[in-house]
Amino acid sequence: MIDYKKKLDTLSLQIKSIFSGHPIAIAGLIGFIIFVLTALLAPWIAPQNPYDLMILDIMDGLLPPLSKLGNGNTAWLGTDALGRDILSAVMYGLRLSLFVAFVAVSIGTTIGVILGLLAATKGGWVESVIMRAVDLKVSFPGILLALMMLAIFGTGVDKIIYALIIGVWASKARLTRSSALQEMQKEYIDAARISGIPSWRIMMKFLLPNSIAPVLVMVPMALSGAIGAEATLSFLGVGVPITEPSLGLLIANGNDYLLSGKWWISIFPGIILVLLVLCINVVADRVREFNNPYLKHQDRQ
Amino acid sequence: MNKSQVLQIKNLTVSYPLDSEKNAELKALDDISINLNAAEIIGIVGESGAGKSTIGKAVLGLLDPPAKMLAGEIKLLGKSMIGLNETQYESLRGNQIGYIYQNPMTALNPVLTIGEQIIEAIEANTNMSGKDSYNFAIHLLERADVSFAKDRLQKYPHQLSGGLCQRIVFAIAIAAKPKLIIADEPTTALDVTVQNSVLQTLIKLSKEEEIAIILITHDIGVVSETCDYVYVLKNGKHIEQGETVEVLEKPKQQYTKSLMASVPLIEKRLHRFSLPNSNSEINSLNLDYLKEERNIEFSSQQAILQIKNISKTFFTPASIFKPSEAFEAVRNVSFSVKRGETVGIVGESGSGKSTIGRMILGLEDLTAGSIIYQGQDLSNISNNEERLKHQLSMQCIFQDPFSSLNPRMTAGENITYGLKIHKLIDANKAKSLAEDLMEIVGLKKEDANKLPHAFSGGERQRIGIARALGYRPDFIFCDEPTSALDVSVQANLLNLLKDLQDQFSLTLLFVSHDLAVIRQMCDKVIVMKDGKALEKGNNDDIFESPQHNYTKSLLDSMPKFSGIATN
Repeated sequence: MIDYKKKLDTLSLQIKSIFSGHPIAIAGLIGFIIFVLTALLAPWIAPQNPYDLMILDIMDGLLPPLSKLGNGNTAWLGTDALGRDILSAVMYGLRLSLFVAFVAVSIGTTIGVILGLLAATKGGWVESVIMRAVDLKVSFPGILLALMMLAIFGTGVDKIIYALIIGVWASKARLTRSSALQEMQKEYIDAARISGIPSWRIMMKFLLPNSIAPVLVMVPMALSGAIGAEATLSFLGVGVPITEPSLGLLIANGNDYLLSGKWWISIFPGIILVLLVLCINVVADRVREFNNPYLKHQDRQ
Repeated sequence: MNKSQVLQIKNLTVSYPLDSEKNAELKALDDISINLNAAEIIGIVGESGAGKSTIGKAVLGLLDPPAKMLAGEIKLLGKSMIGLNETQYESLRGNQIGYIYQNPMTALNPVLTIGEQIIEAIEANTNMSGKDSYNFAIHLLERADVSFAKDRLQKYPHQLSGGLCQRIVFAIAIAAKPKLIIADEPTTALDVTVQNSVLQTLIKLSKEEEIAIILITHDIGVVSETCDYVYVLKNGKHIEQGETVEVLEKPKQQYTKSLMASVPLIEKRLHRFSLPNSNSEINSLNLDYLKEERNIEFSSQQAILQIKNISKTFFTPASIFKPSEAFEAVRNVSFSVKRGETVGIVGESGSGKSTIGRMILGLEDLTAGSIIYQGQDLSNISNNEERLKHQLSMQCIFQDPFSSLNPRMTAGENITYGLKIHKLIDANKAKSLAEDLMEIVGLKKEDANKLPHAFSGGERQRIGIARALGYRPDFIFCDEPTSALDVSVQANLLNLLKDLQDQFSLTLLFVSHDLAVIRQMCDKVIVMKDGKALEKGNNDDIFESPQHNYTKSLLDSMPKFSGIATN
């Protein structure tokens, strides 16, 4: 029986000790929570559904911020060429960007952790195959690999998730393997082995919980990386479809108008993208710092 | 004032602020006074957390930042050291005060030769340079009993043994002719045969160079061999002080008495350590689980375990640049263990003693030979169920209490996890069994819900024992189970092991580098060196009339401590 309340208490205590006394990290965390809430609630709080082409009016196209729309609403951040409200588009774009990054990072991390554990416990040819695959992946520039994949398999939300997973798993596998190898030197693993505990149980119940910490610390970093990568790919036009714009695609949409003074189409999604990545990075830095005993010592002084 | 007085510490109090509560402080040192004269060696003894090392750090002005010196005075050669700034301290360190670290391998810089490091120390602290400092370096090495001094100057630390490195650290420490040397556990990382000669060098340096030495150690034997005067500390408080012989053999304080009673003796084998609070309550507990299914109808003459000519060779991985190299860890070792007895394997580090245990437990493959357990060759059991049964009846108590428990499982889960997997107990009985086992090994049953980090080293080792007992083992391999523990904790744990052995008729194979522990625990002893069994025999025979020269030298180099005088 697991005492969930107790676990929750320890978790909140830990969050408190990570962030207390670090106002920038707290601001980052709050910012991130706001972004996530906005993304989750976008269909209810956005003034307009930007995917519904029926309600768009071409007459509202390219209006600057704070203009009145044909139906009487205010376009706080202006509209794009199709008459789409930028504020709504940014909310929906944020939703898509976060969704793609979350899914890709969680699947990629899971795959990486499992492969890393397998490499560490099985050794031999299993380890060689997995680690050489990691080397191979790492030796390609990530964005190039993703571009190649999308060029071959076509674009779409699912395709870009696959491409990002390919970018995420390798470093996680490498990290898990080295941390699990270290853990395997410890005597409780020997104790489990001489007690005839099956190796998959040793892997899941002994190795996994004790070697996952360094990987989890890297997850926020991977998240911001994935958001950036997705934005880049969408900006280049090989990412999400034009009917469901993410932040990157919104920036690309406004690109043509930047020089003709219609700055708002690109700038607002751009600002949101920068803020989002910044918030996550600030939180990620703090989490990493908290988990690094050497940095912690300096921290105290 | 005494003319030759080197160091005077008066009412020194050092405290650490505690993280958990505001204004709470941990007094690492509480009102400690120490006097030290030239050419004198004083010992500061105490168990972990006694504040021994804090004294050394306070004298050197190296207290770690949160620590604060609250009160007291430190005078070096009559001059107060309180309120010195960092530059003033720097001119004292190395020059007037030398420091010797516990682990010589980490105290030396691995990328510089010995010569560069000694000459750097000489040139930093004296006016010598060039040829003079080179010659002086050779002189220093010779003073520190380093053989082939000239050749050694060209070597890097990793090319030399631990003992030699420690002598080189000595040579660096005496480069500036300091008045005081602080030696913090200088021989703890060394093997016993090396330890003795290193200590002799330290004594010689003290007498000939008139250096006052503070020797910080947990090892009573080292103190009795080396020190003129002893201070006993506990939790930062002064307990007792006096001439070494007086304190060690006729202690006045209760704490010192029990500390001395915990020191395993080499001269005679005791039934149990005579500890004040030793209470064997195992009989009163519910032992049905542990006793059932145990076939106790065996003759004590029957060998439970026969080791026949086993060898183990490790190979370094081959690469393009270097072919694989073989290292023979165990060479053709044979012995047998009878039911209910304790066989000890003693040897220095690298002698292959732990490898034998790992082979018996199935953690390493045999290169040659066979292991026959309960009448069956372990490598020839085809039936999986039978193999598992044999495997589970052999358990292990590990060396390092800080890595031998799964940190993410509670103490109780650690004890019963494997039992549940093998369906040896019902899941709903696991909790009560874990609690029973906790009580059997002398822990509180409520603590079964705590995670390992909430326990001390000795307590964790007890949880490890409880985990082993849960499988109702016939045979337990003890891999240096007390080498990481304080001496009083060790004595309690060894008493517990003996009690459990009597109660459950366990057979033990006990590996240790500590001759005195082997002397106290084992019925038969095997002496190992470089993978070979040099001598085998009964406890009394080995310790009282050793045949092999190596055994003799091991026994000779043991620090002599004969225990509390019984009168």
